[in-house]
This record gives sequence, structure tokens and C-alpha cells, in this order.
Amino acid sequence: MTSRRAFSVVGLFDSAQLLLDAIPKVKTKVPGRLEAYTPFPVHGVDEALGLRKSPIGGMVLVMGIIGAASALALEMWTSGIDYPQTTAGKPFLSWEAFVPIMFELTVLFATFTAGLGMLILLNRLPLFRHPMLRSKSMPLITRDKFGLAVEANGEDLDVDAITKILREAGAENIEILEGLPPVAPASPKFLLLSLLAIGISSLVAGYLTYWGIKLFPVAPPMVHMLDQPKLNPQEANDFFADGFGMRMPVADTVRRGALPYTIEVQEDAARLINPLSRTGDVLNQGRQVFANHCAMCHGILGDGKPTLTAAYGAKPANLVSQQMIDLSDGEIYHVIWKGKNSMPSYSADLDDDEQWAVVHYVRVLQRALNAKDEDIDD
Amino acid sequence: MNLSTDKKLTVTAVLGLLGVIVTYLVGDMGRFWMNWILWFLFLLTIGLGCLFIVALEHIVGAKWSIPVRRIPERISGLLLLVSPVAIAALLSLEYLYPWTQPEGLADPIVAGKAGWLNAPFFALRVVICVGLWIIAYRIFVGGSLRQDQDRDPRFNIRARRFAPLFMAIFAIIITLVAFDWISSLDPVWYSDIFGVYIFAGTFLSGLAATTLALLSLKNRGRLQNVGPDHMYNLGGFLFAFTVFWSYIGFAQYMLMWYANIPEEVYWYEERLHGAWGILVLGLAVFHFLVPFFLLIPRKAKSDPRFLFWTSALILAAHWLDLYWMLFPALGRGVLFGWVECSFGFLFLSAGLLWIRRSMKRGEDMPVGDPLLNEGLEFRL
Repeated sequence: MTSRRAFSVVGLFDSAQLLLDAIPKVKTKVPGRLEAYTPFPVHGVDEALGLRKSPIGGMVLVMGIIGAASALALEMWTSGIDYPQTTAGKPFLSWEAFVPIMFELTVLFATFTAGLGMLILLNRLPLFRHPMLRSKSMPLITRDKFGLAVEANGEDLDVDAITKILREAGAENIEILEGLPPVAPASPKFLLLSLLAIGISSLVAGYLTYWGIKLFPVAPPMVHMLDQPKLNPQEANDFFADGFGMRMPVADTVRRGALPYTIEVQEDAARLINPLSRTGDVLNQGRQVFANHCAMCHGILGDGKPTLTAAYGAKPANLVSQQMIDLSDGEIYHVIWKGKNSMPSYSADLDDDEQWAVVHYVRVLQRALNAKDEDIDD
Repeated sequence: MNLSTDKKLTVTAVLGLLGVIVTYLVGDMGRFWMNWILWFLFLLTIGLGCLFIVALEHIVGAKWSIPVRRIPERISGLLLLVSPVAIAALLSLEYLYPWTQPEGLADPIVAGKAGWLNAPFFALRVVICVGLWIIAYRIFVGGSLRQDQDRDPRFNIRARRFAPLFMAIFAIIITLVAFDWISSLDPVWYSDIFGVYIFAGTFLSGLAATTLALLSLKNRGRLQNVGPDHMYNLGGFLFAFTVFWSYIGFAQYMLMWYANIPEEVYWYEERLHGAWGILVLGLAVFHFLVPFFLLIPRKAKSDPRFLFWTSALILAAHWLDLYWMLFPALGRGVLFGWVECSFGFLFLSAGLLWIRRSMKRGEDMPVGDPLLNEGLEFRL
């Protein structure tokens, strides 16, 4: 009785029927895993080997449901909660619009699970070199023989005993395969090198594409959202005599919901009192309004040094200067309403709350950029 | 009482007939003819669906389906039963179809369609369709029955040559059925995809009827050598076309919902609100969700009891689909009472009696088909 370290013992049979007859005889007597190799699919082999039902179906179902759920969550979050945007007058959370994406993501998750699950889980993909593929039996099996292999499942195979059992079951040629453990994934060095190669080639491809498009602009970049037949803020327009694209509100009109504003002189507005209290919400609103409407000329800090140069020659006011700090809330409000020098009126764009909130925010900027020592919290 | 199934069915048919006659005498013509159309279309779609299955099997040269082919062949005999029903249904035009009335034609859109929607042309189309489906039935089914006797393999070649032509004929018939009988109840409405939607329901109900009949016959000890692998294929078909029906149904709805054009959405306006809104929910659940999830497991597609009830559910949902499309056109809310039950008794019993009568004669399988044995040996 010699016992060698072997990966598997393969017996070859002449017909599918002989193989099917042999499986039950061998199955009860040997340790390890039984594996059949046939040149074409043979009915009944799965049942005879007692293979478990493939888990792929369940995985695909679960992943499909996860796909549908994640599509639904993504759409509900983006178009209903985080960035609600009216499309064709439909409600923000319109399930009808969500269905196609849900369908697509269900299919995507399910097919990827099926494909990758089959390759990695069932075909044991990292195993590149199955000993069977280099055996002498394999060329015969791909032609007209039917192989039955007893594969080591961690334990030592009693080669002689198994050979005897296979012979008794009707096998003709017996081959003993020594070699790799059942799962021999690629070496860490190989995996590392492959990852490195993939990384480098992605970088090279990315840079080539980037510079290729930059240096040889065969197609214009996608700027359809910018490229619209409308006037952007601060854009000149030949249609009007004064050349301004941004217009003052038509005389004797007010924005919807606003009351007429009767104060004509800036000093007279000093008696107006800011109706809003300085809460966090108000200041946040002021900051947003400032960023959207004021910062392109006055600068994000209000210091009159914007990133956008004042192309029309006027120098925007420095809102954090002493002169501005000395102005009352009402006077600043008045300028927003009426405009001053090159600055147009914002009465049509901002409602009353927004105007007063931005006044508060200007005060915040003034304080922040002229901070004193005692402002520092210690 | 220990009556045979045939006697029971005859009793229900007679009871139903009495109810139908009373309905006619009471004079509620709108309701009478709407029920008539509903049951006419229910039987017609099953029959057409089965004939389509037969043609499909010929066109692709399917072998697995040869042992079960006699079943859709027998069921498509419903086409002969519904032919007089179709001709009689022409009497419904003046009661149900607004384009037959001057006030209906007052709408400019309907007036624009008057060249197509007028009684003589409509009747001509119906007669042509009836003629076409009778001819197709005689070629496929008559030929197959003759082959039982003469064992002439040339029938297979003839059927395969005719099948592509039949596909074109079938497309025309099913589109006309959809547009003429159903869609023109609301003549303002436009939907290009409607024919495909009706086709999906037709094929699915044909498959469900075939599966149901196969399993009933197996329960009675016939067709014993049709195995689980054949049933698995039918189950797979049912699964696929449950999805197809839902896909087309939703595609039609979503485009109209997005575009929101009055002459398109009003059809859904009528059918998505109030009690109809609940029915459409039932349609989504029983025509899609339940069969879809029921049919996912591999075992479910070949388990006879399971497949039996799923097919029955799909047929019921197909009826509900037709009911939901047709009855809102009456504008009288959800009608369901003894009138509907009487029609159901009469037409369902008559249809079942018709199929049972044909199944009692002749062979259970196309024994003259030279490929029958290959079909019986089919394994997945």
C-alpha cells in the first residue's frame, strides 16, 4: 500500500452509459470529490454526482432586487429630495419616470451577478491552471472518452485503492495527476503586477484622450447647456440703446408680491429697519443670495475684487470698507432696490426677505474682514 | 347529483343563455353588447393565440413542442366557434361605437378618421378577418389532422412554407382586432403600440390555455409521455411573455403619461381613477407581479399543480385586462352583476364544451408527424 500526495485519479470510460453506471459504484466508496468530464453534456450526470443546485439563480434574484431598489433610491433622492427639479410639469416623485431606470439597473445587476458569479464562484476563475487541463486524459475526453475523476479535497488520496475501485467500476485507462492544490490562485506578485499594468494603461489612455481632445479638437466639447439663445448675466446686447443686456425694471412696475418703494434718495432710506433677525437660517440665505447675485462683481468676500473682471470699466464697490460699514442697513437696502452707478436694480430678482438677508450677510463680511482681537474666542 | 362534466357545463351554458336572453329582453343594449364583445374577444384572443403558437412552432421547426402541438391546434378551434359571434357583434356598432352616431362624428378628430371608421368598411374588415382565420385554421389544423391518417411528411414542409405568410396575416388580424373592436370604442384615442399590447395578451392567454389544457389532460391520464421538460418550456414561455405584456403595457402608458396630450391621456384618465384605478392595480398585481415572481424558480416552471394555477391566474387576469379596457367606454362605472355572470356562464361553458368535444376525438398527439419521436425524447 503506497500512498502518494496526488491531486486526482482519473478513470476513462468508453461511453456515457458506462460513466453513468460507474458513478454510483464509485461514489459511496471513495473520499474526496467526484468530478465527471464529458465531451458533450450528458443527461443524468448532475443527478448521479449529487451536485448541489447552483446558487447563481438565488444570487441573481437578490441582486436584481437590489438593483431595482438602488435605482429607485437613487432617483427618489436625486430628483425628489436632494435636487428637486420640475420636468414637463410632473411631480418630483413620479414613479412612472423611475421605471425605465429601475428596469435597466435590475438587468445590469442581475447580468453582472450571473456572469461574474459564474466565472469566479463556480468556475473558480483565479485558478488559471487546473491540473486536469494538462493531463493525458484531457485530449481523449475532448474527443470520445468520458472521464471520472476523484479529486482530493484537502485529504491524502489512497491512490491504489481508488485505482482499484475505478477499475472495478469499468474504467479502462487510469491516470494519476499530481500537482497543484485544488485552489491555486495566481501569485500575489502576479496579481500586483496585473493591477499595476491595468492602472498604468488606464492612466495612459486617460491622458492620451485628454490631450488628444485638447490638441486636436475634432469635435466641439459638449456645451449645449451653455450654448443657448439667451442673454447671460452681464452680457452686452446691441438691441438696447445703452448696450446693457441686464435691464432695469420697467418704470412704475413692481415685482409680483412686492409693495411699491417710494424712497428716492439714499439718505432717506436710513430710517428703514431690517425686519429680519440674525438667525443662522437668515444668514445662510443671505450667503446664498450673495453668492448668486453679488459675488460676481463685488467678489466672494465683498471686497470689490471679483474673479470676474469688471469688463464694462466701472469699479465695483468695496463692501467691507469703512465707508460701507458706516452706512445704515436701510441705505444698503436702498442700493439693492434702486441700483447705483453701473449696478442695476435687483428689485426684480430678489424678494424683500432675500434683500434684507443679504444686507445681514454684508454685515457678516464686514465684521469678518475687519475682525478685532476680542472677536477671537479663547 | 352525479352529473358528468359535459352535463354540468351544458346546464351552466343553458342558465347563462337564459340570463343573456333576459338581458336582451330587458333592453339594456349597451351592457348587453359590451358583454358580448368582451367574451367574443376573450375566446377570440385565446383561439388566435393558440393558432399563433402552432404557426410559431412550424416556422422555427421546433421539435420539443410536437407532442403538445395538438393542444393549441384543438383550442384554436375556438376560432370557428367565435366566427358567428364576430358577425353577430356587428349589431353592436350602433350601441357602443360613437363613430356610428352623428354626435360622435361631430368631434373633428373622429370626423378625420371617418374614412376608416364607418360601418360598411368595418363590416368588410371583420368579414375578411373571419375568412382569413378560418383559412389559416384549415391549413394548419386541418392539415395536421389529415396527417394523422395519411402520415404524409410533406405537410410539415407545407406548414413551414405557409407559416411566414400566416405571421403577416396574423399581424394584420390582431392589429385590426385591437384597433377596430377595442380602441375605436374611444375613437378620439391614438395609440400606435396598441396592436402589440393586444398581441402580448393574446399570445400569453394562448400559452396559458395550452398549459392549462395539457395539465388537465395529464390529470386524466392522457399525454403521459409528455414530461417535465416540455412543461418547463411552456412555463418559460409563460414567464417570458408575462414580462413582455408588462413591458408593452407600461411602454404605452409611460409615453402617453410623459407627453400628456389630451387626445392620448383621456383614455387613461377614464381607466386610472376611481374603481377602475383599483382594477388596474389588480391588473398590475395579477397580470404581472404574482405570475412573475411565482414563475421565477426553476421548479415552478415544471411543477404541474403550480403551473396549473398560475395559468388559470393568467387567464383570469387576461379577462380582467379586456374588461378594464372595454367597460369604461360605457361610462357607467364598474358593472358586475348577474348580467356579466350570465354571459360568463354561457360563453365559458360553450367554449369549454367546444374544446372538450374536439379533444374527445382523434389522437392526442400529431402521430403522423415524422419528428414526433424526436419531440418526445426532448430533454433540457
